[in-house]
Amino acid sequence: MIYQKMLLRDFDKTLMAVALLLFALGLVFLMSATSVRGQEMNFGYITKQIVSFAIAIIVMLAVMNVDYQRLIDASWVIYSVNILMLILLMFIGRARLGAQRWFALGTFAVQPSEFIKVTFVLALASYISGRRYALNRLENLIGPFFIFSAPFVLVILQPDLGTASLLAPTLFIMLYAGGANLKHLLSIGGAGIACMPVFWHFLRDYQRQRLLVFMNPNTDPLGAGYTIIQSKIAVGSGGLFGKGWLAGTQNQLNFLPERHTDFIFSVVGEEWGFVGGALLVLLYFVLIRRIFRIARLTSDTAGKLIAVGIGTYLAFQVVINIGMTIGLMPVVGIPLVFISYGGSSLVATFMAVGLVLNVAMRRSTF
Amino acid sequence: MIPANTAKEEAIMTMISGMFALLLLGLVYTQVLNYETYFTQSQRNFIRVLPIDGPRGRIFDRNGRILVNNRISFDVSCVYQEIGPKDAFIKTVSGILGVPARQIIKALNRASESSLSAPVVICEDIDSKKAIALEELESDLQGLMVENRSKRDYILADSGAHIFGYLGEINEEELERLKDYGYRMRSLIGRSGVEKYFNNYLTGIDGGEQIEVDSKGRRVNVLGLKEPVAGKDIWLTVDTRLQLLADKLLANKTGAIRVMDVHDGALLAMASRPSYDPNIFIDPDGGGERLRLLRSPSKPLVNRALGGLYPPGSIFKIVVACAGLETKRISRSTRFVCPGRFSLGSAVFHCWKELGHGSQDIVEAIKNSCNVFFYNTGRALGVDTIESYAVKLGFGRPAGIELQEESAGLVPGRLWKMIALKDAWYEGETVNYAIGQGYLLVTPIQIIRMTAAVANGGRLVRPYIVKRIGAVDVSGMRFQDTGISQETLRIVREGMKRSVQDDSGTGRRARVEGLSIGAKTGTAQNPKGAPHAWFTGFAPWDDPKIAIVIIIEHGGKGGIGPADMAHQIFAEVKDAGLV
Repeated sequence: MIYQKMLLRDFDKTLMAVALLLFALGLVFLMSATSVRGQEMNFGYITKQIVSFAIAIIVMLAVMNVDYQRLIDASWVIYSVNILMLILLMFIGRARLGAQRWFALGTFAVQPSEFIKVTFVLALASYISGRRYALNRLENLIGPFFIFSAPFVLVILQPDLGTASLLAPTLFIMLYAGGANLKHLLSIGGAGIACMPVFWHFLRDYQRQRLLVFMNPNTDPLGAGYTIIQSKIAVGSGGLFGKGWLAGTQNQLNFLPERHTDFIFSVVGEEWGFVGGALLVLLYFVLIRRIFRIARLTSDTAGKLIAVGIGTYLAFQVVINIGMTIGLMPVVGIPLVFISYGGSSLVATFMAVGLVLNVAMRRSTF
Repeated sequence: MIPANTAKEEAIMTMISGMFALLLLGLVYTQVLNYETYFTQSQRNFIRVLPIDGPRGRIFDRNGRILVNNRISFDVSCVYQEIGPKDAFIKTVSGILGVPARQIIKALNRASESSLSAPVVICEDIDSKKAIALEELESDLQGLMVENRSKRDYILADSGAHIFGYLGEINEEELERLKDYGYRMRSLIGRSGVEKYFNNYLTGIDGGEQIEVDSKGRRVNVLGLKEPVAGKDIWLTVDTRLQLLADKLLANKTGAIRVMDVHDGALLAMASRPSYDPNIFIDPDGGGERLRLLRSPSKPLVNRALGGLYPPGSIFKIVVACAGLETKRISRSTRFVCPGRFSLGSAVFHCWKELGHGSQDIVEAIKNSCNVFFYNTGRALGVDTIESYAVKLGFGRPAGIELQEESAGLVPGRLWKMIALKDAWYEGETVNYAIGQGYLLVTPIQIIRMTAAVANGGRLVRPYIVKRIGAVDVSGMRFQDTGISQETLRIVREGMKRSVQDDSGTGRRARVEGLSIGAKTGTAQNPKGAPHAWFTGFAPWDDPKIAIVIIIEHGGKGGIGPADMAHQIFAEVKDAGLV
């Protein structure tokens, strides 16, 4: 039944096309980011990324195949499994770069925190839409905060500030879209910010260091500040038109750490310049607009909230990621969706896209 | 179908649009407005200029024998960020170099503070076997580098040190002044001698290699090369054989020896003791020794031939003899009787020979160095005439050698005494003046200049030591005529010849078979202890070519130690075919 004419009528081709285009561009950037001047091209990363892409497409199609209402119904199971994985991770996870974020699965490493963003959105949409009573009463916000707190605390414990920094705005915006009182939300948000000093105590040393460095990268130019300084140099030296593909000196001479993962935008900025960088930002913007268009056109609360939630976390992820390469945001360690190297992120992102497409295709069936 | 209320979605989208707009502004700010800054920084990141030393010019002797050379020195340095496990690194490097681990840890600490990927020196000038051993390990020992540098090598060690001088690292003030001329931190600059006064010729022009490096400072590409230019070589007038002999003769003594061409002033040897090894000043471990040299009360860094001030003693009798004969106060046949003493009022002045020399003419008086003859002559001349002849023969001012470390000496007179001591001149002082005692102070180079003038027919030559710079001959002879008559000079030379030739002459110990020599010895009283011993002479007597001067501080009688040394030098001069 999946490719019935009726379903295909509302299949958002633009959204799909932009997502695929972003991935294709990502391969081009990734090729540059994984090459080193004076060394033969290493296609290992590209090959792995393409394999991940194949898996991502299969997962996306699978997600699209099932009516999202069924997924909403099953959201508690999905959410609980994901939470369980995060708990399990604390005991058997593979530590990389000082954080336990991965499960080893053959040659692939699965990162449950990439998926929690989608499953959290699903669970929250389900909770809000399942309750008929209004969210504009303060006590009714307690449930959503429990749904939020479990993954939030778990990813912070990993520690994964990046994912945590995406969950918070997603929660607030979904609550707002679901009808919560803006005053209530602002007070809670204000209280959360006021609690930051307490929160500071729970941070690891390297995280504190990163936040301090965000304020002033020159405090530790060879340590924590190194990445941000080198990244700014890379992006800035790209100028208007960039240094050309494979011609970025910051990139090709290895001055940029993590340039194929979290800092891939530095490579884009250096080699493709402002024109390339702005075009990429614009593509993301088109993608997000498309997702919010679907939200607007969907009358079903659950469907609408899914689109809002996914649109919100993708938007924040893009802005935070690119922002940190030019020093606008603190370095929190999140990948650039569709582009950064990494299977979990790619699969989770296409899963999210599939979910939104699912909503778009089925919103008019009732 | 369109849901009634989409205001919230639109509000959220507006906020997100705002975020994206901010992001674009950030990109404009970074990539467009601050492009220049970041572009420069990216260039600085990957382009590095490795200086290549332009070697200093070498120094040769008159026969083309190399005296100061440059050799390759191997310096071990490291790039801290590249080093793998520190403990293993320290252990391996310390094992091969044979230096304590503590020294390497110290260097590593320095390296960890240095800016990104700049190499820091661990150990300078290691021997070539260790360098090869380390170079073989370079690929395993990440972060280690063995670099070649050009290092000054003073082949004669402490011989001729005062001619060559020494090098020192440029100081901040000089760097500020000279940085436009290619000097940089740790550049070496001449501190004395030829190294100092010919520094601008000797200094090479550093070249450089512009290389592309990766984030670990490893060379990826060569972008450009500027060849270094070596400094100009310098040829000296020095004869290494004589120089080595002079230094050997002075070993364990304090004093100076000069050997000079009487006609053009070319210095064949210039030794001064105590000496030092100029290599110490470029040796990284030479710090303690350097400090000792600088603080030593015997002042080994002073070139005694140029800077040392001594009373001339009897050597000065040559000046008085010239003055007496020129002013006709005495003649070839004037005789004075020497009873061993000379009275002036109530004061009594002694001859060095207690029983006296008996009746003496000028030639015998020079031969015997008779004080009484010169007391009489001096008294007849008066202080003003002695003073003017001392000046005529080059005393009281620098001899004009290129190495400007010369003292002027002191030629006293009535005016000088009035100004300096606020006292009148006494006749007793004139009598003392005539035998080279009293306030008079001279340098060995002034004495040899005087001897050369007597030998060459009355011309005061300008001593020099640099013959050629690169391809340019700079030996251009310069002299002043003293105006002293040939007859006078002939008589003085006669006396100097007899001083060596006669068995009773004061300089007889300098005699060399088959070579006629003229000489005058001196024993200069001084308040600090035993008298200074002088010897000056020239050869061959009938066609003078070479002059020498020797002073041994507190060396006793000039007719003994210095005359023996002169004997060896004249023998060497004859052997080398210089006369």
